[in-house]
Amino acid sequence: MHIPDGILPLPVTGAGYAVTAVTTWYSVRRINQQEDPRRDVPKASLLTAAFFVASWIHVPVPPTSIHLVLNGLLGALLGYYAFPAILIGLFFQAVMFGHGGLTTLGINAMIMGLPAIVAHYIFRLRKARGGETQKKTGVFGFLAGVVAMGISVALFVVILLTNLPAEIDVVSEKAAIYALAIAHIPLIFIEGAITALVTTFLRRVRPGVLDGV
Amino acid sequence: MRGKWYVLVALGVVALGLAAPLPVSAHGVNLEYTSDVTIEITARYDSGTPMADAQVTVYAPDDDTTPWLTGVCDEEGRFSFVPDTSMPGTWDVQVRLAGHGGIIHIPVGGGTTAADGVGGFTHLQIGLMSACVVWGAVGTALYFSRRRKA
Repeated sequence: MHIPDGILPLPVTGAGYAVTAVTTWYSVRRINQQEDPRRDVPKASLLTAAFFVASWIHVPVPPTSIHLVLNGLLGALLGYYAFPAILIGLFFQAVMFGHGGLTTLGINAMIMGLPAIVAHYIFRLRKARGGETQKKTGVFGFLAGVVAMGISVALFVVILLTNLPAEIDVVSEKAAIYALAIAHIPLIFIEGAITALVTTFLRRVRPGVLDGV
Repeated sequence: MRGKWYVLVALGVVALGLAAPLPVSAHGVNLEYTSDVTIEITARYDSGTPMADAQVTVYAPDDDTTPWLTGVCDEEGRFSFVPDTSMPGTWDVQVRLAGHGGIIHIPVGGGTTAADGVGGFTHLQIGLMSACVVWGAVGTALYFSRRRKA
């Protein structure tokens, strides 16, 4: 899911940085408007660590192998903290694992961070119409994970397909991109299941964690 | 098994017999050699899976924008090519498959060691670095969750 250096043309990576800068600014503004902006920092910090490590856990799906992203989970649990958390996690992944790159940090934050904000709004729907129940938390947690991962895969595919360089074999690269997208379909549901499991578990054990989101 | 060896020996004798009558008449010697360096690239994901059928683009040192050669990796993620040694410098080889990939910079003529963009860390090093980052995050969490003094 991480686009490395040298794959995309410079203007596209620049646009990615611009979108990420604006989104980070908006996220931080929303965080500052909260009553106590520091309250959710521990939660955000721990989930940043989870996000950072998740990309190291490979799930083999022939012909390739995929890794967990957890952006839906971060969005559901963190709200607007998710975007800065993902940005920091991606930075460390790029520097330490070589997953993604520094020039593409903006575009990768866009691919994984924007769907996290969508996941946040989906997860909030559990409170609508008659209040939150364990079942609704599970259902909307699942949807948050599925939709976030689905949008990420779609963004990844669209950005790559619209920026294919002329000198490579476009047909086989397109086929490879589609194959990779298909390999990610199981991951979409795995992410949904993980998000549902974690949110319902937290609601049972420490409901306070879900208060703010 | 033994029969096979006899066949081989017989073939060898026949080959020698064919080679022997060739005329060795000239006394002037004309020696030529070419020292082509074949560069073989192996492309793998960091999970160890070879990047089968990945697209390879080779850029010569004098032009970073127009590909000098394009090709495809084999099933094992291997690709080899012979660079033009009249163009010494750094040859850039890009490998990509479904939006994943990287660039390796290969010096031709002069140095012989190649280094790619990502440092070749061992699993232990990566584990240690990850542990540091995770501890940094846990430390941040602990710092912000401590009780505030009234």
